[in-house]
Amino acid sequence: MGEQVITLSLPSSMQHVSLLDVVITEILREMNFAEELQMQVNLAVIEAGTNAIKHGNKEDLGKRADFQFILSEEKLTIIIQDQGPGFTREDVADPLDPANLLKSSGRGIFLMEECMDSVDFEAKGTIIKMVKYKETPDPEEIR
Amino acid sequence: MQVNIRHKGSVTILDIEGKIIGTDTLALKKVIDKQLETAPEGKLNLILNMARVQMMDSSGLGILVASYSTIKRNEGRIVLLNLGGNIRSLIVMAKLVTIFDRYDTEAEAIASFL
Repeated sequence: MGEQVITLSLPSSMQHVSLLDVVITEILREMNFAEELQMQVNLAVIEAGTNAIKHGNKEDLGKRADFQFILSEEKLTIIIQDQGPGFTREDVADPLDPANLLKSSGRGIFLMEECMDSVDFEAKGTIIKMVKYKETPDPEEIR
Repeated sequence: MQVNIRHKGSVTILDIEGKIIGTDTLALKKVIDKQLETAPEGKLNLILNMARVQMMDSSGLGILVASYSTIKRNEGRIVLLNLGGNIRSLIVMAKLVTIFDRYDTEAEAIASFL
């Protein structure tokens, strides 16, 4: 199978997170990812979608959150783009710091990075590119 | 997501089913807040039965943490029941295992309040 590209463009309403969930769930099932990996990617995509819609686009219905799913034999690449001002990854506090453990927010980026094989932030954080391999890759293969 | 509310003595049990993601996290917060409002003197003894929760996102985790703080401030307690593998992994990943008491049976969870 060569690469297949699926795109999804959502108005920035949190109501649409469930639609994003349906799409990524079906893609992962179609690609035959192991069940545990399906849950990890599913969670990372929900986090990235929430990040784009809520924090990036501030739930402005005039702005869109765009998703590109690139399916190949060995991996799934997901590119998420929002129309917000962006952010600096280094400015996001560590949610595992004891001082932050009881905070009610700030875990999304951390969970994305934990669940995916790679997560890269481009264009001031308005574009996030995430990759998950179906089999655990050698560290050198990830980038 | 669906939530069924049960009461056993002074303990409130929420049986949660589905995925706690997106707008469902706010729906769960409303349910918990309502229970807090109606608890005697605001002291809520709460069991969240997670047996049928397939997935929870960081917003869901945030609701759990915020509820933990509010309930504890009012001298109540929140405990987690029947964590499946996915939710257990999430709680471990977020280093919240030391915050939440967890039980595998409803009887044990209820007994923990006595």
